[in-house]
Amino acid sequence: MNKLFKIILIASFAITSMFALNKDEIKPVMTEKIDNVLNIIKNKEFSNEVKGEKIVKIIDDVFDYRRMALISLGKKAWVSADSEQKKRYLTAFETNLKNSYIDKLGLYTDQKVKVVGTESTFAKKSKKERIVLKTELVGASEVYKVNYLFYKSKKGWEIYDVNLDGTSVVTANKKQISGLLKQKSLEEVITEMENKTKK
Amino acid sequence: MRNIILIIISAFVFTACSSKEEINTNNTINQKQIELKVQTTSLEEEDEFDGEFDEEFTEEVKEVFDPLSGYNRVMTKFNDIVYINVLDPVARGYAYVVPKGARAGISNFTDNLMFPVRFSNNLLQLKFKNASEELGRFVVNTIFGLGGFVDTAKTELGWVKHDEDFGQTLGFYGVGEGFHVVLPLLGPSNLRDMVGLTADSYVSALSTTGSSDIKYKIPNNTLENVGIMAGQTINTTSLNLGLYQSLKKDAYDLYPFLRDLYNQRRNSLIKE
Repeated sequence: MNKLFKIILIASFAITSMFALNKDEIKPVMTEKIDNVLNIIKNKEFSNEVKGEKIVKIIDDVFDYRRMALISLGKKAWVSADSEQKKRYLTAFETNLKNSYIDKLGLYTDQKVKVVGTESTFAKKSKKERIVLKTELVGASEVYKVNYLFYKSKKGWEIYDVNLDGTSVVTANKKQISGLLKQKSLEEVITEMENKTKK
Repeated sequence: MRNIILIIISAFVFTACSSKEEINTNNTINQKQIELKVQTTSLEEEDEFDGEFDEEFTEEVKEVFDPLSGYNRVMTKFNDIVYINVLDPVARGYAYVVPKGARAGISNFTDNLMFPVRFSNNLLQLKFKNASEELGRFVVNTIFGLGGFVDTAKTELGWVKHDEDFGQTLGFYGVGEGFHVVLPLLGPSNLRDMVGLTADSYVSALSTTGSSDIKYKIPNNTLENVGIMAGQTINTTSLNLGLYQSLKKDAYDLYPFLRDLYNQRRNSLIKE
């Protein structure tokens, strides 16, 4: 009797404490998350907005939006920003990224997602480890490669970039922002990003 | 027995409460984290740019050599208008009439006919295994795949398509992209890939280029050539409806956005 209680207690703790990812957890946890996301997308009872909210909740704890935002802006612009601008930038970046993701999910019809596996690489200079989770979106005639790139943060393994069929989301954002910064001030760029969140 | 039920129920209540709480606090924590970290000292900021990502994402973005940017902008706008007002509605109508299975079959069929392009470019890049797989795919799909409509080689044998074109072959041997050119109707390209397109159309069965030397050309004249191209484009678009519109939403400035995406993708294809 006592034993059963203990097992249940441990099990209940195990469920609630699944938060930061370990290296070995990346594939199984991400597979589960992708399955959950697909189930939500396929559910016809939810509106697109509800779907978006639910999906964002599933993926929130593995995405390091802040890291993505910082890389995209670059050190120079970040250091020059005041704390109010930084806050506004981070919020606008995260919102736009999520909106774009949810918008892409709307394109989903009946493709299958195949989790291919993980691959570990080391950056040449810094020797820091990176893990790539490779997945494939198998459509009617084409196969799209979707890779999730993980790095080890203080919290655990987190996603710092997503590669969609050969194009990096962070690089695309970085190029856009640096292009804008050549023509406009940081304040104007942040305002433009904020305007985009409202669209 | 009653005890067990009680424990199970309490355990569930416990997990439910704690998980609910976790989600709630999580959201607020995330919000606070953004605010808190931003407000902390500059030490933290230096830590954030410790150079860990410098190799992957170069800090200084190089100025793109883009002498045709004026023309390219206009052409991007033109292509955008044509896509939104002509190609997209036509492809939607076509998708409404033709079932998806048939459209996927047509896509397989034209892919199969593009075999000479993939085969020769795999050979030119010394990718012999891929080239032999392409040859095998062509034979299997032509004979056992209803002349190419069914991708039997992939489903039964696991032989996948190895897309290579002459632009990639040139890139493989170190030829730079030259500069970006947006082609009317065809979209983003560059000097290198334009040379590639011309070379590929020579060996392709679906164009009339070089029809005096190569006997397997399908279209008899330019008009038929254009017709095939249009059909192919509509079919492909019908299988990717909404993709362009969704991408467009991500853009602050459409032309450089599409240009950079094209370059990124081509570079990753060349590296493969």
